[in-house]
Amino acid sequence: MKEITVVFLLNGKKTSITSLPNRTLLDVLRTDLGCTGAKDACGGEGECGACTVILNGKPVNSCMIFIGQVEDHQITTIEGLMEKGEYHRLQKAFVDTGAVQCGFCTPGAILTAKALLDENPHPTDLEIREGLSGNLCRCTGYNKMIDAIHLAEQRGLDD
Amino acid sequence: MQEFNYYRPVTITELKENLSQPGTRILAGGTDIVPKMRQGKFFASILVDTSGVKAMRFIEDQGSEIVLGALTTHQEAADSALLKNINPALVTAAESIGCQQTRCRGTLGGNIANASPAADTIPPLLIFDATLLLQSLGGDRRIPLEKFILGPGETDLQEGEFIHSISFKPLIGSWGSAFIKVGKRSGMAVSVVNTAVAVELNDKGKISDVRIALGSVAPTVIRCRKVEQSLMGKEPEPSLMKEIHAACQEEISPITDIRSTEEYRDHAAAVIIQRGLESAVEQAVGRGR
Repeated sequence: MKEITVVFLLNGKKTSITSLPNRTLLDVLRTDLGCTGAKDACGGEGECGACTVILNGKPVNSCMIFIGQVEDHQITTIEGLMEKGEYHRLQKAFVDTGAVQCGFCTPGAILTAKALLDENPHPTDLEIREGLSGNLCRCTGYNKMIDAIHLAEQRGLDD
Repeated sequence: MQEFNYYRPVTITELKENLSQPGTRILAGGTDIVPKMRQGKFFASILVDTSGVKAMRFIEDQGSEIVLGALTTHQEAADSALLKNINPALVTAAESIGCQQTRCRGTLGGNIANASPAADTIPPLLIFDATLLLQSLGGDRRIPLEKFILGPGETDLQEGEFIHSISFKPLIGSWGSAFIKVGKRSGMAVSVVNTAVAVELNDKGKISDVRIALGSVAPTVIRCRKVEQSLMGKEPEPSLMKEIHAACQEEISPITDIRSTEEYRDHAAAVIIQRGLESAVEQAVGRGR
């Protein structure tokens, strides 16, 4: 098995990684790049959304992507949301509404919400529910997440 | 995870060359193959990743035909204004797949090549008599989608070949098309049974043409030609349910599996055809005005 070198933008920073090709983006993010916000919860089945990252503006499951597939792509992880030492509006809103409980699904849910609001700044409840349908949460019952996303929306989303 | 050598062509020429080596397998979005490789259900010594070939990611109106690049994602199909107008059944089907995360990666070409009997994008393509353009270093060939899929997970794709694009002719006049799916829940569900229906009404409001495809009730997605014949020339009304069910039973061979039972599929197939027909008729009437 030959190693490959992959170049991509990670949270705005040009990143180059040399790796065996049979590793997933999730594995490389967590093991090689210190981005442990993305989680493995369902064992790489694409069922739970805990490993969600934003790839070229779209939410994707990083457990279902081989590392070679992100060549030339832009990736945003939860670590990339903080700006100037401040948490992103969505992060604050998740905390303020109690949408973070055990926290395992939170990075994925916030990134899905960010991709949703970037495309649709004023989503309806139904659009939020559909948007979050790939992010499983065992604690919040989702209602608090929906509240959080509306709160972030109200606080303005000019970023 | 199993070991393999990995190629990432960015042009169609490179893709053809990469695939001309023996023992290659094709990767597109990866939503099926990556988990299957992890589980040891899909093997490749050489994996050729098509996902960087931008020339295979497009939705185009070429006049007489609509052409979809094989790497068009489900989300791109779901968001396409062109497809919403021309093949609403395909848009509904694409929207119903998995969740946003899988729709943004999974591709139409991948869905076809996987040849799952429960594939959601195949029925809406079958009712439009879609054809595939297959390419390889040896040349191009066209094949009807219906002939391409041979069995569960089995296709006519030959060594070195890949699906370049999918094309179909738009239906003109008083047509409507709809897709209906029954799953265990509305999100992240694999179809228990699904259907796509296209119908054309004449000026008397009778069915002058109808096409029906059913998924998850046979080894492949099937066109229900007996049901189609039984509906020709009739006025679309709820009383057709009996005829639909009778004709449908002659064509399907549902099984009991982890998702549902033979009996339920047998019943639900006819019910969703009827519902799909109602929805397609509603559109056809709207267009006929």
